Amino acid sequence: MASAARPRTGQGPEPGLGGAGGLVRLYHVSKAYLAGSWALRDVSLELAKGELAFVTGPSGAGKSTLMRLMFAAERPSEGQILVLGRNVGRLGPAGVAKLRRRIGVVFQDFKLLHRRTVEDNVGVALDVMGVPPRERKARVFAMLKRVGLQHRRHQQPLTLSGGEQQRLALARALVNDPELLIADEPTGNLDPELTLEIMDLIASSAARGTAVFVATHDHALVERYGKRRLRLEGGRLVEDVRLGRP
Amino acid sequence: MSARAQARLALVSALRGLAATPLTSAVATATIALCLLLVGSFVLLLTNMERVLARFGEELAVSAYLSDELTPAEHERVAERVRGIAGVENVRLVSKEAALERFRESPFGRASLLEGLDANPLPASLEIVLVPAERNKEGVEKLVAALAELPGIAELGYGHEWVEGYARAVGLVRGLAAGIGAVLALATLLIVANTIRLAIYARQDELEILQLVGAGRAFVATPYLLEGVLEGVIGGLLALGVLALGFRAARVLLGGGLELLLGYVEPAFFGPLGALALVVAGASLGLVGSLAAMSMLRSARG
Repeated sequence: MASAARPRTGQGPEPGLGGAGGLVRLYHVSKAYLAGSWALRDVSLELAKGELAFVTGPSGAGKSTLMRLMFAAERPSEGQILVLGRNVGRLGPAGVAKLRRRIGVVFQDFKLLHRRTVEDNVGVALDVMGVPPRERKARVFAMLKRVGLQHRRHQQPLTLSGGEQQRLALARALVNDPELLIADEPTGNLDPELTLEIMDLIASSAARGTAVFVATHDHALVERYGKRRLRLEGGRLVEDVRLGRP
Repeated sequence: MSARAQARLALVSALRGLAATPLTSAVATATIALCLLLVGSFVLLLTNMERVLARFGEELAVSAYLSDELTPAEHERVAERVRGIAGVENVRLVSKEAALERFRESPFGRASLLEGLDANPLPASLEIVLVPAERNKEGVEKLVAALAELPGIAELGYGHEWVEGYARAVGLVRGLAAGIGAVLALATLLIVANTIRLAIYARQDELEILQLVGAGRAFVATPYLLEGVLEGVIGGLLALGVLALGFRAARVLLGGGLELLLGYVEPAFFGPLGALALVVAGASLGLVGSLAAMSMLRSARG
């Protein structure tokens, strides 16, 4: 493999092979969808428990590919990815399903079940884990209350506003107390007030110990919430800065 | 989660799936119902034909007409020897007098034929019934060969050719039913598999979301398999209902003609087990169709 340019780093440890506490570890990961056309090239990084990291970069920089690799929607073409102690490249379908039960994912387009109620959209993440109905009901209600949607629980997603749908997607991602939260442009289409509302929820998850990985174009958000900033360009990790906030 | 709760969840998902794609679900159900209606009609016809055959088989007796020179005591001795032949279930001795009485009482005015006769022209006879396993051409031929070696028997009478012909007809209908059933079942499976596949395609987004939140194969597949089973059960019940109505209508419209057609054997509909078998066949078609649909989708995804 060609050696990659070392990313510019700020405070904190070097990314890469070191560190025993990383929930996510990428070792020289590359991904090509077509031979020779690299979406991600020689990326090494580590994400620790409770860490809130933002990944920025222009469109096509590889942010979505990086996230898809983290929740095992893709396998790396080169290198190794360890997510919650599992090697993503070697997981079979059952292993992928088990891993995803420990990860919460928020998509830019929400990916909600439009024929189900708000309650069911959140509950489905618990259904796949085999949570008993009574506990499911209580946990879903508590989660909906946390995102302020408990009064909408019997409605269908399409009756909700964009901000409410985004909160619903976040509720589904968080209801199973994930060890890792991956959010792809979670505030992409929201007004500033809703953006802060959503980001407060995400930051509170990190404060509870969830490792959070957020892809965004919004630099103001990174400045406000970010403890760590990663920047991708042309599939390469060109910056990995720990901002040193408490 | 308990197994009961899991089953309930899968059932609710399956019902929700049926409601989400009503047209494709209706096509699959109707296809299964049509297939079972055709196959069920054949099976019903076959069942009744076999009942007729069984009745004729029971009545398939070889008549051995005894020589007029024998005395009644000798008739008894011949009957005893015939009872000893392998494969014989029952031997009934019909005396000359009994034969005459039976002839007089028979329909179509045969009694008039006997007017003017001084002596009884009818011979005494033995009516020999074979055990069920021997009630066929080979059994009758073996009996005839054994009877030929006995003295005192003047003539033999047996109508096994007709019964054999009917048995061949039953066999033909059975083969036809099996052949048509197999072709129909295959065609139904293909149609059902494709309609279920369409239903799965229509809910592709839902599948993707389930997989993203960590649903395993069984969690995703079980509702679809249940959907197939439910469509099959409904199709089976529909076919059963239409067959029952058709059967009742045939009895009302054809009246005694139907019984005449069946040799005075009362026409019978499916019993509880037969009805259950039809519904189970529907459920199996739905299940296999769903499995085939999921397998086709997996192959398409590589």
